[in-house]
Amino acid sequence: MVSVEIAREPRLEESQRTVLVVEDEILIRLMIADALRSQGIAVIEASNADEALHVLQSALPIQLLLTDIHMPSALDGLALAHAARATRPGLKLIVASSQPAGNELAGLADAFFAKPFVLTTMVERVRSLLAEPQHARE
Amino acid sequence: MPESDAEQLKVAGTILVVDDEILIRLVIAEYLRDCGYKVIEAAQADEALLVLGQSERSVDVVFTDVEMSGSMDGFALARWVRANRPDVDVVLAGSIHRSVQAASDLCDQQDHVPKPYEPHSVRDRIYRLLASRGSRKRDLQSALEEAHAGGGAS
Repeated sequence: MVSVEIAREPRLEESQRTVLVVEDEILIRLMIADALRSQGIAVIEASNADEALHVLQSALPIQLLLTDIHMPSALDGLALAHAARATRPGLKLIVASSQPAGNELAGLADAFFAKPFVLTTMVERVRSLLAEPQHARE
Repeated sequence: MPESDAEQLKVAGTILVVDDEILIRLVIAEYLRDCGYKVIEAAQADEALLVLGQSERSVDVVFTDVEMSGSMDGFALARWVRANRPDVDVVLAGSIHRSVQAASDLCDQQDHVPKPYEPHSVRDRIYRLLASRGSRKRDLQSALEEAHAGGGAS
């Protein structure tokens, strides 16, 4: 094997703009992830809230959580969002659902998107939230 | 995976990475992206079948873990691909070591893209991430219990 100089470390640990996308429908998840990556945003793709918890439990830096609410896993997106915010207070949060937004999102989410949503609008919201300073709330 | 399989794989193109352990999947997927491939991530075989069923989506290689939850393990997925999508190559990797080696072999085939980093750093990164999982586990668990108690998860 040819010895190759290490050019750089992996990007996820370096990135100041990493989004954890939690969506159980792979074709939607893929579409969102592709759109965000095309904007130079690092993306971690989780297929349900349980997978997302594994990521949140790790040392990976994440600036924004974008989660669906209804998923066929032990946890739903709302419980995930509460847990994520409690343990990573600076985290930005976008919630998407095919159901109308309820009161439970007040004071929790930075943005809510009703499904189906316009992808470019979603990407723009992600970009603007990532550009804002981190939350200082506890 | 036999090394000869990797040697015959196409250069460039799209790789569908199938692994139900997210902390392994994301590292392998990012490594392959950094090697110049387009990568699609699937958390289990059922998701992979949905992607492979899209006629407009081109997939050159299915890179799958062997043991997976869901209706199909990696062997069954490989059999399905060979029967239904003979144009798609399959890489079966049953351990972290083999996954990293197979990804490195694929990376070696990208002549126009310099290898972004060495395989051992990919392997170290997976182990580091898996080990780091404990650091926030307790905090998350109590936050979840609070969310449930407060009706936040209803």
